[in-house]
Amino acid sequence: MTESRSAAATVRATMAVVIREPVVAIMLVWAFFDGISGNPIHALLVGGVAILLGRDIALGEPNPPVPLLERGGRLPAWWLVVALSAVFAAVVGSFPRYSWPTTAAIVAIGTGAVALAWRGPLVARPDTGRLPRPGVLAWVAVLVAGALWELQALLLQPSLTADSWQHPTISTLTDPVLSTHLGRTAIMFAWLLAGWFLLRQ
Amino acid sequence: MNSHDVTVLGYFVVVLLCVGLQLLSLRPASRVPSLTALLRRAMRGRPGRVGVITAWAWLGLHFLAR
Repeated sequence: MTESRSAAATVRATMAVVIREPVVAIMLVWAFFDGISGNPIHALLVGGVAILLGRDIALGEPNPPVPLLERGGRLPAWWLVVALSAVFAAVVGSFPRYSWPTTAAIVAIGTGAVALAWRGPLVARPDTGRLPRPGVLAWVAVLVAGALWELQALLLQPSLTADSWQHPTISTLTDPVLSTHLGRTAIMFAWLLAGWFLLRQ
Repeated sequence: MNSHDVTVLGYFVVVLLCVGLQLLSLRPASRVPSLTALLRRAMRGRPGRVGVITAWAWLGLHFLAR
């Protein structure tokens, strides 16, 4: 009896988390589909972060996080970030795509960035208030349309793990670029700078 | 026009719409926020901030890693 009550309480707490923060549910569904598409490392990263976030939300954040700069931290100069990103991209881009060294490097950078984001924002940003609803809805509509277009191409492939030239996903379209050292270096450089830009928001 | 071209055209239209919204956001007193404003709003709390950075990390894994 006590066990069934505690199970019911867990289900209620989980549902409350999902309703309060849909990002956790979205990430769990995303991890599931990545897992069944043959990408266990991706699924582990996204699913693991979703579980930790869900636990964090259920427990409640005691205090709003203090931005890194207000904690006495310092950000590296922009030219140093650009230079280090270029060197990293050139070195890691020299390894073949889908190789273990590339995977280890990206997992290390990705989990480091997630840990940094977890601790709080890097820079304090003033509260600009609510954004205009029509404009937000326009962005959401375009981004969801893009995601659905990619999904229909994925589902029209022969299988989730076999590419189709007739219905190419974005990954299939970028294959020719990412098959070269220069292409991998350029894309990884852009990915690193995009990550730095996002961390500063 | 075959199904390959139609699929690529779809991606192109989505990119064009994003560029159009971003340009609209630059007008004075625009009711369309910029993508940066949207991201800042989404990343104000921990779930949004961590979710966006996880999505970015996933993109790197998806395109380049195992």
